[in-house]
Amino acid sequence: QRHSQLDTHIQYERLGADVTMRCGAMDWDAAVTWTANGTDIDESHLNGSHLVLRNVNLTHSGQYACYEGSSWHLKYQTYLKVGTSPKEPVLMCRSNNYPKGFYCSWHLPTPTYIPNAFNITVMHGPRELICEKDAFPKNRCHIRYLQLFSTVKYKVTLTVTNALGRNSTTITFEEFAIVKPDPPENVVAKAVANNPRRLEVKWQNPSSWPDPESFPLKFFLRYRPLILDQWQHVELSDGTSHTITDAYAGKEYIIQVAAKDNDIGTWSDWSVAVHATPWTEEPKHLTTEAQVAETTTAGTSSFVPPPTTKICDPEAVVGS
Amino acid sequence: LNSTDEVGAGQSIQKTYDLTRYLEHQLRTLAGTYLNYLGPPFNEPDFNPPRMTRAEMVPSATVDFELWRSLNDNSRLAANYRAYTHLLCFLRGMDGQVAKAELRKNLGHFCTSLQGLVVSIASVMSSLGYPLPGPLGGADPTWARGPGTTSPHNDFLKKMDDFWLLKELQTWLWRSAKDFNRLKKKVPPAAITLRLEA
Amino acid sequence: GLVQSCGYIIPESPVLTLGSSFTALCILNESCLDFGNIHANQIIWKIKNSVVPKEQYHVINRTVSRVTFSDTSTLATPLTCNILADGQIEQNIYGIAVTLGLPPEKPENLTCIVHQKSKREYIMTCTWNPGRHTFLPIDFHLKSEWALGALPDCKPQGVNNSCSTDDVQFFVNLEVWVEAKNALGMAESEHIDFDPVDIVKPLPPHKLLVSSAEQPAFLKLSWENQIREVEMELKFNIRYRISDSSDWMEIPPEDTASPRTSFTVQSLKPYTEYVFSLRCMKKDGKGYWSDWSEEKSGVTSEA
Repeated sequence: QRHSQLDTHIQYERLGADVTMRCGAMDWDAAVTWTANGTDIDESHLNGSHLVLRNVNLTHSGQYACYEGSSWHLKYQTYLKVGTSPKEPVLMCRSNNYPKGFYCSWHLPTPTYIPNAFNITVMHGPRELICEKDAFPKNRCHIRYLQLFSTVKYKVTLTVTNALGRNSTTITFEEFAIVKPDPPENVVAKAVANNPRRLEVKWQNPSSWPDPESFPLKFFLRYRPLILDQWQHVELSDGTSHTITDAYAGKEYIIQVAAKDNDIGTWSDWSVAVHATPWTEEPKHLTTEAQVAETTTAGTSSFVPPPTTKICDPEAVVGS
Repeated sequence: LNSTDEVGAGQSIQKTYDLTRYLEHQLRTLAGTYLNYLGPPFNEPDFNPPRMTRAEMVPSATVDFELWRSLNDNSRLAANYRAYTHLLCFLRGMDGQVAKAELRKNLGHFCTSLQGLVVSIASVMSSLGYPLPGPLGGADPTWARGPGTTSPHNDFLKKMDDFWLLKELQTWLWRSAKDFNRLKKKVPPAAITLRLEA
Repeated sequence: GLVQSCGYIIPESPVLTLGSSFTALCILNESCLDFGNIHANQIIWKIKNSVVPKEQYHVINRTVSRVTFSDTSTLATPLTCNILADGQIEQNIYGIAVTLGLPPEKPENLTCIVHQKSKREYIMTCTWNPGRHTFLPIDFHLKSEWALGALPDCKPQGVNNSCSTDDVQFFVNLEVWVEAKNALGMAESEHIDFDPVDIVKPLPPHKLLVSSAEQPAFLKLSWENQIREVEMELKFNIRYRISDSSDWMEIPPEDTASPRTSFTVQSLKPYTEYVFSLRCMKKDGKGYWSDWSEEKSGVTSEA
């Protein structure tokens, strides 16, 4: 019967390394038994009482124990974790709620398979700013602007450390360069009665943008009939609606909107796509029962919106 | 302020906002050309020189976040008016030193535009009934290098001054755009006109 | 002898308004009186070589004779003061040049337009009606000022009814007027007040492309605007015709009344070549339409 009273300590080893484990204080020539996750290890892996693991990989990770040959006393126990030292982390800072603040998020280009600790410092000239960690996602924290309209660059350094090494990355940026709003929300597109070439598109400022009146957004609208690949674009500098006047009669359109601060920063990602079909002269002549189900009232496309899409207007399809 | 003054104020705020955006666009091109004229390292994107004491005299757009939000209209406009009055002097100081005729002409044109902004801000202030502010106490722009004023002895230092002047001016134009958006909110031209007609 | 600086005429070389009255005095020097029995009543006024009628003379005293013209239209250069001395030999005492003309009229119909010359280059040209010919050298200056100060004058080059400047400043209201000045006075046109951005004639859209995208009845136009959004938002007119026809059709203006860089033209005949052209102007209708763009053609695909 095996007696195990020792505390388990964790041993980290580099992927591809050769690992030798000693059986506690046992002599080299003592008779011992090694187990991995409770399974006896073949003697070919032993060098005397030492366990030798060559060119370890992830599958070698696990609980290793060494028992004295005759008394089955547990002489040594460890939890082996095979991994890598961290590569230079990818760090990105962005202000999607200017001028309240900005957030920084990071990730490792390749997994390390072992726990990593991240430490971030944000400097604005001589002054260090607090980066408040977000509950979710974990690899993100946010900074409140104490000053605005500064010509002094921000310097953010992220250091990642694990048992096998450490790495860091530093980025510097100007306050205005990282301003990038979230995409517009609640995009609604619908036909215009009695006008086969028009589509009316409405949207809202991203809810994360705190003060659209002092910090107005401008918008970029792109639209194309599904039958074509090429988008048409139009830039709109005020307001949150636009009427497409050259829609191809009877064709279903896909429409997206992007946003940007009127003066600074970069464009947001495209909004969720919405679909709409211009008003058509007479209702479509339906021959079969199935097509009845597909009847599109003016403007609502036959396209069944993804579950995440809120439909707040029977005539229109919304993307949130 | 009667409603006619408000309509005047509203429209001149909108026009001042449009001018600010226009100048910001103009400056982007002009600054790029000028920094190329100065040559490396000044035209390298990551160039981030220390700010010498001389460059500290250029009125800085940096402002405490809460303070900026809580500025009343008069203080907000006065800060803009003072800044551009001084920036204009510094810019004119730069204008006289440029060897390239084309660049000097563009700088001259930009100076006139910037003076137009000072004029616009002044007319907004007067239409809202605010007095024009006097120059800043300490920061009398004698440092401004117009013809005959003393230049920093070192050419590199002079270029650094120019670098920071353009940077600060660009930042001021961004700030002003936001300032005038806030002011527009209070005296919107359209809304006022609607109210008149109602 | 006698002739040497024996007198002079005032005023010296006057500029006179046509049709006005004019009086000149010929004043004999005291030094001349000693040479024989000289008196102002012996003075004979002449225009060129014709004697001025005596009725227009008035002897003020022994040394001063005055001549008056009720209508300067009869005057010419020179006007001379002569004396018929002893022995009936007429001697010229003095002569002046007389310039006749009219004061400037108030310049009328002052209008200005800003022509876009390139992406960033604008020329503002103001024109006016200079008014009548004044027969005198006349200076026209286009004056301009902002709320807080004057701007440099624009001096017409070789003409007197227009002036151009490339120092155009958008978004600042400008007050402009014309000042006409000659020797007989100055006249000022009405002052006009505008923002130069509201009187722009933009360059037409360019790099126009026509693509069919394999759809029978429609062609898609795309182009580049030569004026930046920060200066103004644009609206458009789009016209098209079948290539072998001269009848233009136009897209309803309300369909092209907002900023854009493309438009899909529909309801076209299949497998037909169409020619397109477009123009633009400031979206709020202030300013001038650009010229029509270069024409570009495209062929609709088969049905």
